Amino acid sequence: MSIFTSMGQAESRRRADQLAAALAGMGVPCKVEPRAALAVLMVESGVAQRLADGELRRAALALAREQGFTHLAVELAPPGGADAAVSRP
Amino acid sequence: MSRIADDLEQRAAEKEDALADWLRARGRVAIGFSGGVDSAYLAVAARRALGADNVLAIIGRSASYPAEQWATARRVADSFGVTVLELDTDEMNDPRYAANPANRCYFCKTELWEKLVPAAAERGFETVVDGTNADDVGGYRPGMQAADEHAVASPLAEVGFTKEEIRARSRALGLPTWQQPASPCLSSRLPYGTSVTPERLRLIERAERAVRELGVTGDMRVRYHDDVARVELAPDELTTWLEAERAETLRAAVVSAGFPRVALDLRGFRSGSLNVLHGVTTA
Repeated sequence: MSIFTSMGQAESRRRADQLAAALAGMGVPCKVEPRAALAVLMVESGVAQRLADGELRRAALALAREQGFTHLAVELAPPGGADAAVSRP
Repeated sequence: MSRIADDLEQRAAEKEDALADWLRARGRVAIGFSGGVDSAYLAVAARRALGADNVLAIIGRSASYPAEQWATARRVADSFGVTVLELDTDEMNDPRYAANPANRCYFCKTELWEKLVPAAAERGFETVVDGTNADDVGGYRPGMQAADEHAVASPLAEVGFTKEEIRARSRALGLPTWQQPASPCLSSRLPYGTSVTPERLRLIERAERAVRELGVTGDMRVRYHDDVARVELAPDELTTWLEAERAETLRAAVVSAGFPRVALDLRGFRSGSLNVLHGVTTA
């Protein structure tokens, strides 16, 4: 059973924020939108492309797992619309 | 050809002989036929072993069955002289299925076999088989329980045919499905608990078609998360599709299909991904 099935919103948010902080520390500034065990990264223009690096991607996945997320995805923002994506709650 | 490839070919050919023996012992078979790699191979192998009059491939059509797979099924049947019967199934009207529980496949397969088995019997086919292979046995597959309850046999699994061996024999026989990616029903793109509706399935189908039209040929899924489409691509394609121009092409294609937001999964395709998401199976 996923740990997120019994977790409250506050705890889910806390884990998302911790993941965001850890990712920022490795050069991937983002907001993290938690959706149960899925973490969706909302990034500014140009940041998603950094994750084309396989090593960085694997490190990001490991950080997500540490916070209990089984899935990690990066939102593909429209041109010029990335900042709007990051400002979503 | 390498020795490893030789070994695979030989092993697969031996299993095809065993399969032919299994089929001849039954005389006539009806096959639950989707046009996927396994059932397509089984239909053609049965046609070769038993002759055209003794094989009936039955397609269960419903909203969760992709149109492209139906076209593949018909193409294989036409090319190899396999007789086809098409039935409409209506799992969408079963609230236990539409609620999308973790055992959703059980209700879908129950509906399928409840219609297919009697239809086969009416036409003189007492033995009904499906395309379950040896790799499928042991995974989380509640649909297999429904097959058991309706006495549907799985000869590919019984003779130990693995997916790799089925692909090898499919290639040798000239089936177009030999390198086709696995293609489970569209409902598998919806997280458990998210209700299955025809509109959502059409949205997913449009999005996956749009991604295919970009030239993606390997394993791929568009998973539905309300307003977000989470695209899973083969892991070795991620680097390419995270490049700025490609990423925008991908986003635009999925948005054009009707999803407001698009996210690319950073691990890439994994079979049963939503089982992991819900803790039904482990990563």
